[in-house]
Amino acid sequence: MLEIKNLKASINNKDILKGLDITIKPGELHAIMGPNGSGKSTLANVLSGKNGYEISGELKYQGKSLKEISIDERAQKGIFLAFQYPTEIPGVNTNNFLKTSLNKVRKARGEKELDTLSFLKLLKEKSSELGIDEKMLSRQLNVGFSGGEKKKNEILQMKVLDPNLVILDETDSGLDIDALKIIADGVNSSRDKKKSFLVITHYQRLLDYINPDFVHVLSNGKIIKSGCMELAEELEKKGYKKIN
Amino acid sequence: MIENFKINSKEIDKIKKISKVERDFRINNLNLFNAKGFPNKKQEDWKFSDLREIVQKNFKKLNVNKVNSKVKKINLIKDFDHNYIVVVNGELKSSNFKFEDKNRVRIKNFKNDNFLQENKDNPLIYLNHALSDKGYDVEVEDNYKFKKALIVYNLFTKDLKENILNSRNKIKIGENSELHTIDLVVNDSKYKFMNNVYENIILENNAVYKNIFIQNDKNEGYFHKFSKNKLSSRSKYSAFIFPSGSKFNKLDLEFNLEGEDSECILQSASFLNKSDHQEIKTKMNHVAPSCKSYQKVKNVLGSDGKGVYQGKIYVKDIAQKTNAYQLSKALLLSDSSEFNSKPELEIYADDVKCSHGVTSGSVDEDSIYYLMSRGLNRKEAVRLLIDGFLNEVVDMIKSNSVKKFVKSKLQGQIHGY
Repeated sequence: MLEIKNLKASINNKDILKGLDITIKPGELHAIMGPNGSGKSTLANVLSGKNGYEISGELKYQGKSLKEISIDERAQKGIFLAFQYPTEIPGVNTNNFLKTSLNKVRKARGEKELDTLSFLKLLKEKSSELGIDEKMLSRQLNVGFSGGEKKKNEILQMKVLDPNLVILDETDSGLDIDALKIIADGVNSSRDKKKSFLVITHYQRLLDYINPDFVHVLSNGKIIKSGCMELAEELEKKGYKKIN
Repeated sequence: MIENFKINSKEIDKIKKISKVERDFRINNLNLFNAKGFPNKKQEDWKFSDLREIVQKNFKKLNVNKVNSKVKKINLIKDFDHNYIVVVNGELKSSNFKFEDKNRVRIKNFKNDNFLQENKDNPLIYLNHALSDKGYDVEVEDNYKFKKALIVYNLFTKDLKENILNSRNKIKIGENSELHTIDLVVNDSKYKFMNNVYENIILENNAVYKNIFIQNDKNEGYFHKFSKNKLSSRSKYSAFIFPSGSKFNKLDLEFNLEGEDSECILQSASFLNKSDHQEIKTKMNHVAPSCKSYQKVKNVLGSDGKGVYQGKIYVKDIAQKTNAYQLSKALLLSDSSEFNSKPELEIYADDVKCSHGVTSGSVDEDSIYYLMSRGLNRKEAVRLLIDGFLNEVVDMIKSNSVKKFVKSKLQGQIHGY
């Protein structure tokens, strides 16, 4: 699904990723943990195609290079990034936005666009699965949403768009236990043989609920250690400094 | 190119059946206009909109003669029930008040009966007072609330070519009465022309007036409107203005809050693209105590689009407990977009709450990134952001059917972007 080899990324002449390797196969869930400033969010941004980075190395999605592919095309091809800080967009209705987004993705997949009625039906289904109050969706996109609501909205978008590769950028930060469970349930109920996940987090807490296949430690722009759930537990006990 | 545009007094002789007082009034205004000509940027009120230069650049001639104003068929809006009046090239043609008690509403052609010289240094008002010989006059009796909205269809015919039209309109709403109007501009002319309107709106005590002004088809018109609005005690005035699409458009709006506890709300949203030039100038005169005013003006400017907002709040010494607010926001889409804003507060009372704010900036790149990461291309993302920026105003309209209608009008324009 995703193959990254010797990925380097810099912004404003500052090197952030310094030769990162990771391979994610279909159906796998990988967690990346790392201290502040290690390059976790940069990795998420680079995968989504965000502008402004100098990039070298190999970045392959479904066997093809992502280098020349724009942000929106990546989304249409099934890459989904759940933002650490979802942007507030005044005046844009959440429902309408999601419908536009879904129909763009469906069109790219060669599927028929959904009319308003079938879209609302799908949305109702997905939001009740996640236990999300539908009222939230008639409000302006992320405007005045609490931290938890914003993150839930990201997971709902993930559910609706049904991507192949999901990147969660610290989706668990700042959430209470109930919201954390909603996020974890959202991820768990989406997992199947075809979908891959890259979960970026600071804490073991979320991983307890979602059981990653692999855990990697990112430090100073490189993966310095890989393992399974035990590695996360070790990190939680010892802290990042003692891992090497 | 018109170098020195002057109007011959023979034009006034063409206006039939006028008294000597009226003739003198018109001649006087004609002389005032001829002495000044079209206003230029040396006049403070016109510093961002040099009309003299604009006229010189764009018109070879300007014709003040009468134009053919015949219209075969009008496409009435089917979105909601409404009363209507039809105004063609400034002239009242027909009216239909089928949802109302006809004894409580009067409508006629405008006939001026006030020949006091207006003390406003605006050559276009002089020009209007010299030449205007058409328009409508609507009066709503005391204690009558309109059941359905009144749409004013302002049609401009394809016969218009280098004409300048002058018209005067008046609306008076009696005590405890209520009227909602929608001003709709429909333009069939493919050529350049000028339209110069003088409008007078009077709200008696406790009257309620809501107006929505929509002018958004791309056109070659050059528009100027001076609007004088009187608010008596406890009256409420709400105006939504959605002007755009014209080569030039200046709305000069004066609100006089003359009665205690009166309230005026003005909200506007415009999308100015491809060398459209538009100015909204307001003067909110608080001359009585405990009045409220609120203004919110939003502009989106595309390439070569130019927007201007000059907003003044004046508070007289006796107008204690005034609450006045003014906000202008502009979204600039291109390096060649221009927005000028001049907020002014002139306050002589000491117990008041007055504030103003101005922001202008380009589209937020983080928002574009977010939307693109959900599959929208850059253009679609920008469009959605423009839509959202302007919709904040449209969403304040209470009636759902009207809101939907206005949205579809605005969206049609944004989708052309």
